[in-house]
Amino acid sequence: MTLAVEASSLTKQFGQIKALDGVSFNINPGEIYGLIGPNGAGKTTTLRIICTLIKPTSGSINIFGQDATKQPEKTRQIISYLPEESGAYPNLTGWEYLEFMAKLQSTPETNIKAVIDEAAQICGLGDRLKDRAKTYSKGMKRRLLVARALMTRPKLAVLDEPASGLDVLHAYHIREIVKRYVKEHGVTVLLSSHNMLEVEYLCNRVALINKGKLVVEGEPKALKTRFNSENLEEVFAKVVGYA
Amino acid sequence: MLKGFTTILVKELKELMRDPKILVGMIVLPLIMFPVLGLVMGYAVQSAQEQAQKATLLVVDNDNGNWSTLFVRYVNNSMNAIILNQTTPQTAVAEGLLQHYNSTTLVEIPAGFSANLSRHSAGELNITGTINVYSVFSGAGSIFSGFGGAVVSSIATGFNRAVAPDVVSVYQSSIIKGQIQEGVDASVLSSLMLSQSIALPITIMIMLTYAMQIAATSVAMEKEEKTLETLLTVPVDRFAILMGKVSSTIIVAGVASITVLIGYNYMLGSITGGIAGNIGSSIDMVALGLVPSVWGYTLLGISLFFTLLSALALAVVMSAFSENVRGAQAMVGYIYPLIFLPAMALIYLDVTSMPLAVQAIFFAIPYSHPIIASKAVVTGDYLTVILGIVYVAAFTIVIMYAASRLFATEKILTAKFRFGKRGKAKEPSD
Repeated sequence: MTLAVEASSLTKQFGQIKALDGVSFNINPGEIYGLIGPNGAGKTTTLRIICTLIKPTSGSINIFGQDATKQPEKTRQIISYLPEESGAYPNLTGWEYLEFMAKLQSTPETNIKAVIDEAAQICGLGDRLKDRAKTYSKGMKRRLLVARALMTRPKLAVLDEPASGLDVLHAYHIREIVKRYVKEHGVTVLLSSHNMLEVEYLCNRVALINKGKLVVEGEPKALKTRFNSENLEEVFAKVVGYA
Repeated sequence: MLKGFTTILVKELKELMRDPKILVGMIVLPLIMFPVLGLVMGYAVQSAQEQAQKATLLVVDNDNGNWSTLFVRYVNNSMNAIILNQTTPQTAVAEGLLQHYNSTTLVEIPAGFSANLSRHSAGELNITGTINVYSVFSGAGSIFSGFGGAVVSSIATGFNRAVAPDVVSVYQSSIIKGQIQEGVDASVLSSLMLSQSIALPITIMIMLTYAMQIAATSVAMEKEEKTLETLLTVPVDRFAILMGKVSSTIIVAGVASITVLIGYNYMLGSITGGIAGNIGSSIDMVALGLVPSVWGYTLLGISLFFTLLSALALAVVMSAFSENVRGAQAMVGYIYPLIFLPAMALIYLDVTSMPLAVQAIFFAIPYSHPIIASKAVVTGDYLTVILGIVYVAAFTIVIMYAASRLFATEKILTAKFRFGKRGKAKEPSD
């Protein structure tokens, strides 16, 4: 079986800073895989490499068998990326934004209207989609962006802090969207988060990254048992030596 | 005193003065730009004066009397006069004698000059002598056009002072595109052309700066609104993204070029129709051939369009090095001296009147070319305009190539411009 993601010894050097230091992991198709770690650990750098935004200094990355470094254009056809600090064009309506992105992500066979309808259903913004994005609250904007990331049913959805900065209800709504979408459409999801509860709730497997290195990987339940911890927060603290 | 006012004022000043972009843009650049402008103009004035002193004056003496000989001798004290006999100004111009002697001014002392002055000396004070001065009108917008004619007038005044008040009067005419235009004073014409040539450079200056600000925001806005990363991960050629951004500004630039030309044409019509009456009511610019032809307008439009395009492409590239709109707008501010300097200088000066090194600098600045073109199309110097268009187009291609390279790599996300250091990639926070 072809792996959804096959990251092998990824390193990334920014000047004197080594952001990634030999990170390797695999993600199976249809899996929700979580990257967790503190600020500056290298999560976003890993996601950006997978999404072809930056190239690794060394190592390789394959997405459904395609080398993302050597074939970025092909890789972009099967992935969808939601950056942590992402926005919508303020002077476009939510509908126009979805239409714009759907057209860019579509193939000649794509039914654009059906894609936008699906996004409208995912985000649940209803008539507010007719309003300009600059009038949206942070939670509404994030729902719009999550819908954008999932509407084309990519083979791999890369979500960086999908519920970042949202209140409990909005965060809950977004987690439900992701979980339901994966279940219904078999999309593979790679997400990063600071929120260990969110990761524990959503992910089949998680990887803990610290100072550019992947320090431990496994199913949340197995990791809790292995480190004799009540939750992933405790696991993480023990792994990096804070507990 | 308002509570907190001083604290806020000090904090604001600290923030503003510690921003190197503001420091450079608002303090350092003006301190450099205006002295440079002053130097260029000062040098041009000085060299024009020197040239006028060294200039050769062609004198057609059709009088050959005592007074004309005396007048020529008087002129020779100030200028190098070459005497031509047995000819007319029309013939001298047609035979290209002005170019042959590297002169721009021709003086005719008509037959009867000495007889009139003799009668004046004998007490018939209402009888005076007239000399005809023909000055080559070199082009629009040079404050030195008609300089030779002004020098001859001044010499005539000196002669009158030495001999008798108002004994010699000067009748000024111009030589425009090789044709004598009787009664058209080159210096008046120069003033009239100057009033026109102020408008276009200023309009171009405003249009370029405004368009660059808009273009600079196109990439910076994507960064500020956090939409760029998403856009770069969609299955679309990066060059298409760049071209989409530049093309939208091209359309705006195209519309702006046409708008400027319509406005400019209207302004010329107003000046020749009405305002001109204040300066030179007898001057018909259309009849003199000093209004651009349709071909001239077309070339001027093309020149404007390519200049705008190059400026917009450069603004897009520069804005890629900023993190937000404010930074991008400050960044393109570094280009403004290259827009302001030629615009301000070329209002008053003809580029060919400058020293060779300064000419080279002005021709190297892409933003000089529409201003140079606006003058060249009036005088029919289309070759200069076409060469300018070719140069600006080549410059644009280089900039577009640099922009496409930038968009194809991760530098579009990571490149940052820093003072004193090379731009370094920055680790994203996560």
